[in-house]
Amino acid sequence: MIELHELTKDYGTTIAVNKLSLNVAVGEIYGFIGPNGAGKTTTIRLMGGILAPTSGNIIIGGLDMAKKPVEGKKMIGFVPDRPFLYEKLTGMEFLRFSADLYDVKRDTFSQKAQNLLQQFALWDWADELIEAYSNGMKQRLIIASALLHDPRILIIDEPMVGLDPAAVHMVKDILKELAANQTTIFISTHTLSIAEDLCHRIGLIHKGTLLAQGTLDELKHIAKLGEARLEEVFLTIIKENTFI
Amino acid sequence: MNTILSLLRPRILSTINSLRSNNAKSNWSRIFMYGALGIVFWTGTFIIFYRVLFYFQSVQDFGNILAMKLISMLIMTFFTLLLFSNIINCLSHLYLSQDLPLLHSLPISSKDIFFSRWLISTFDSSWMIIAFSLPVFLSYGLIYKGGIIFYIIFLVAIIFMCLIASALSSILVLFGAILLPAGRIRTILIILGVIMVLILIFLLRLTRPEQLVNPDSFASVVLYLNSMQTPNSPLLPTTWITDAIKAALNDEVKSCLFNIALSGTCAFMLIFITNIIAQSAYFMGFSKSQTTPQRLFAPIKYRYYNWESLFNFLPRESKAFAVKEIRTFFRDSAQWPQLFLMAALITVYLYNFSVLPLDKSPIKTIYLQNLFSFLNIGLAAFVLTAIAARFVFPAVSMEGEAFWIVQAAPVSTKNFLWIKFFLYYISLIILAEVLVIVSNFLLRVSPFMMVLSTITIFCLVPAVVGMAIGLGAVYADFKSENPAQIVTSFGGLLFMVLCFCLIAFVIILEAGPVYYIFMANLRGQNISLLQIIWSTVSFCFAFFLCLLAIFYPMYLGEKKLRIR
Repeated sequence: MIELHELTKDYGTTIAVNKLSLNVAVGEIYGFIGPNGAGKTTTIRLMGGILAPTSGNIIIGGLDMAKKPVEGKKMIGFVPDRPFLYEKLTGMEFLRFSADLYDVKRDTFSQKAQNLLQQFALWDWADELIEAYSNGMKQRLIIASALLHDPRILIIDEPMVGLDPAAVHMVKDILKELAANQTTIFISTHTLSIAEDLCHRIGLIHKGTLLAQGTLDELKHIAKLGEARLEEVFLTIIKENTFI
Repeated sequence: MNTILSLLRPRILSTINSLRSNNAKSNWSRIFMYGALGIVFWTGTFIIFYRVLFYFQSVQDFGNILAMKLISMLIMTFFTLLLFSNIINCLSHLYLSQDLPLLHSLPISSKDIFFSRWLISTFDSSWMIIAFSLPVFLSYGLIYKGGIIFYIIFLVAIIFMCLIASALSSILVLFGAILLPAGRIRTILIILGVIMVLILIFLLRLTRPEQLVNPDSFASVVLYLNSMQTPNSPLLPTTWITDAIKAALNDEVKSCLFNIALSGTCAFMLIFITNIIAQSAYFMGFSKSQTTPQRLFAPIKYRYYNWESLFNFLPRESKAFAVKEIRTFFRDSAQWPQLFLMAALITVYLYNFSVLPLDKSPIKTIYLQNLFSFLNIGLAAFVLTAIAARFVFPAVSMEGEAFWIVQAAPVSTKNFLWIKFFLYYISLIILAEVLVIVSNFLLRVSPFMMVLSTITIFCLVPAVVGMAIGLGAVYADFKSENPAQIVTSFGGLLFMVLCFCLIAFVIILEAGPVYYIFMANLRGQNISLLQIIWSTVSFCFAFFLCLLAIFYPMYLGEKKLRIR
């Protein structure tokens, strides 16, 4: 469902992503982990069509994002790491704005928006300006709007930032349910426990290069660790830096 | 003191670092452009004041009174400007800056934070007044042959005036912020300030100063000059500063020192008082400013009549952007004063045409009416450029950090820019055509001029909007705390310069053909073949320029946003 071929992003002074290749299958939850500045957010932004790659291809649902970006984006629900929104719109108005852009059916919009706002505990705030929302509420609103058009692919950068424990639990359940319903999910995170709990496969990126990928067991094998937590696997692979 | 210096360092380092960023070449072109504009303005101010004062010198008795009255009027104006600009800057620097939560979390007393921010705010509010008062007082020094002492006294007096204005403003802001959240105070103050300016503009315009050239009204001028000789209140700091400068000009050492001492002690006493108040009031106000903002006006909801239903005829993505743009624009209270100012500008513009004494002119009226109508095309286009610079140029940057929503949405950059283009084009074309048609009616111009003005404006508006959106995208700043201010950036200046060039080119291209066609109509003659060819080529070239101005900047803007 997601294919990255030799993806490179060169900012001039640094190569943020260097010849990255990976595949994510339908219904799979792929976790993308790595230290700060590893290139996770750049990869996510490239996949979401927010940045243009220096070279390489991004194939989303069989469509090349360089050739058919608009069609590709229609399949994606995108959640960035920082919840910047139009502060002068209300939550409901923002959802309607998203619905119009993603061509959500008019007759189902109201019910869908209400369900999502209730699910994310934002219904009481639906008619308040977003500038009055807390960071966590903004993050929940972004996730709700990303789900509004029933995306086939969900790309999420740091999904749990700013969320309270109840919201974290709820988001995890929602993601599992979506994956069970054949939605492909690509998550970038620092929170290793989330990657451990949620992801079918995990990719480890460092200095723009994919060092290792596989299931948790495969990663343990690569790191030559027996029974270990993802944290130890992560630290070993990053330290050795030789699993390319 | 070390703490205050440390707190000032980020500001100084940021300024230095911005000069040595990766794009050093564009930095230097930016500095050159601003420098050139500054020098032109500075030199212009100097020449105007020098000539005015030189003229005053030639008028016996009244000349000197007028020159001295001009000083007190200037000081009063500078002081009022300083007060207003200090209040706005204090609110921003002391309560609304994004780095303040970080600063308050550091182990530093709020008194130190206050003082460092107060210094920055004072500098930001005052440097321009100081810079542009220099040519004014340089011309005074040259005309009155003031020595080095005059220049030193003037400089010290102006600095004291800036400190007094800043200290007074910060005391007001400190008390205000305890009563109301700082964001709300800024909105209210800006609105009040604009209302005051509007009243002043209307009062000034309605007094019809053009009547002063009428000898019948000369008696009132004499009365006015008499009233000028009445002294100002001795309790006002502006009086001390004015008197110090006047005394320095007239070599009255004692009076000069006395007034400078009064101004200086007042400034330092006010700074001392400000610091005492800040110790107990600043943090309280800052804390209040962190509360959730509430809407100034409660929303009015109609079930069936809202922006969505109004724009239902549009394609969905266009409707989404149109509704979003209108809502965010009208809910942003920072935009309201600008709208009031724009309305005042247009009203005064049209009023000016209604009171033009065309019948009293020695030049043939029909000729004059049509000449004004032709010049009116350029004037209306300049007004339009000013409006576009303020509202259309920042339109892309206004997306701010939320621009990711547009990038991630299934909308091409090209469509996004064209949707913005049409949103602003429609509102501006209505405004511009109303402006031109109404002013032409007031001028009672010929049908030919009416058609020409309407068509020219119809072509110029999309060109100006295209350049505003296109260049606004090329020079977009999505991280600015105040995107509306990006019009003062290099890109904004470039946009205005290019717009003025385009308008000038179009007017020049049309001037020749219009003259021949108009004179032929007036004299009942036919136009020669050469004139027809010339006119056609000129009009076609003007049209081509407008098309180029629409499409090329839009293409550049799209390319720039796509390559990010």
